[in-house]
Amino acid sequence: MTDSEQISKITEIIEAYPKDQRFALAAMQDMQHAFNYIPEEGIAALSEYLACAQSQLYSMATFYKALSLTPKGEHIIKICNGTACHLRGSMNLVTELKRDLGIEPGETSEDGKFSIELVNCLGSCALAPVMLVDGVYHNKLRVDQVPGIIEKYANAGAEGGEQA
Amino acid sequence: MSENVNKTLTVTIDGIECICEKGEYIFDVAKRNGIYIPTLCRHDAFDNHRACCRICIVELKQRGRTKIVTSCVYPIDGECEIFTQSDKIREERAVLYALLAHRAPDAPGLGQMGTALNVNGVDRLVTIDNEKCILCGLCVQACSSLGTGAISTVNRGVDKKVSTPFDKPSVFCVGCLSCANVCPTNAIEYVETETTRTIWNREFELQFCDECGTLMGTRESVAFAAADVELESPIVCDECRKKKLANEMMITYRFV
Repeated sequence: MTDSEQISKITEIIEAYPKDQRFALAAMQDMQHAFNYIPEEGIAALSEYLACAQSQLYSMATFYKALSLTPKGEHIIKICNGTACHLRGSMNLVTELKRDLGIEPGETSEDGKFSIELVNCLGSCALAPVMLVDGVYHNKLRVDQVPGIIEKYANAGAEGGEQA
Repeated sequence: MSENVNKTLTVTIDGIECICEKGEYIFDVAKRNGIYIPTLCRHDAFDNHRACCRICIVELKQRGRTKIVTSCVYPIDGECEIFTQSDKIREERAVLYALLAHRAPDAPGLGQMGTALNVNGVDRLVTIDNEKCILCGLCVQACSSLGTGAISTVNRGVDKKVSTPFDKPSVFCVGCLSCANVCPTNAIEYVETETTRTIWNREFELQFCDECGTLMGTRESVAFAAADVELESPIVCDECRKKKLANEMMITYRFV
């Protein structure tokens, strides 16, 4: 995406909302969805549009885990580390992913394909351990199943991955 | 009719009878009556208080029940008895001091207080070396109430800190030092040389009065204050401006 494309997309997202500070979070969520992160220009444009301080938006963007200020990967892998998943070895999944992708939770792989996040509970404790890739649940996961899933997404490309 | 009239109440704070209006904060009533309640994050400059440091806790006895409340934001809503130095309060306050001192060991005063109070069990918690900030957020409140809004609290949980967006020098900061001045623990650092001031990673040029040479602040802060009242940025300090005005008046009304 070129810079001018990005700017017009930002403007489009922002102007879909009325000029009211309570829409700040919604607009930032949309930006996160469109770009996989919130660009600095996005915060600047939004603060101008809503007439609120940039620092305030930055504060919000750093507070919510759903928002990111650095580009996230195409595929977002969420590993549940709630009590049930933790006890059933979710940290082993993290180790396995580190072996496959070379990244820790919170990081994005160098090719921009994957991001790993640790989340606290996905509400599916009966299915523990749970791994979520782009919103798709992989339950009762064994460590040896992980490379296969990753490969599927790595080969699927952007469009295929979203549908998977 | 009678509901609209503010009824005065009589409350007892540490055995002293104090008259107050319904809705007044305990802290304000105590202060007016010369009763000292320690606090860190409360500042007279603001109407809405942070209630963040929790140091100003007091014991409130009302309708036969006792509870602990933060006096800076607790509005008095009826006759009650308040204790600012009861054994329970002393104990709880000591824990709060110890926790804050453990987080911010370099905060002036807090460190010594933390060790002097001899609270058990704090040592197992992680301490942050050279930290002075207790994260009360007064600086952020000061900055945003000025209308600059250059700093805010960023991140959450253990990573929370006060900073400018993206940790970059803020274009909105005017270098007025409001944040540093309200800070209860002097945690906000700035460097001042003869002609410049550096705060939040940004260097500002200082402005001196054209007449007497007193420091007026940074160029940006002087211009910002003037723009706020729709005036041009002054080149002389307040004193010199008054003197000049007085001289003009003297000449004008010489014969009166």
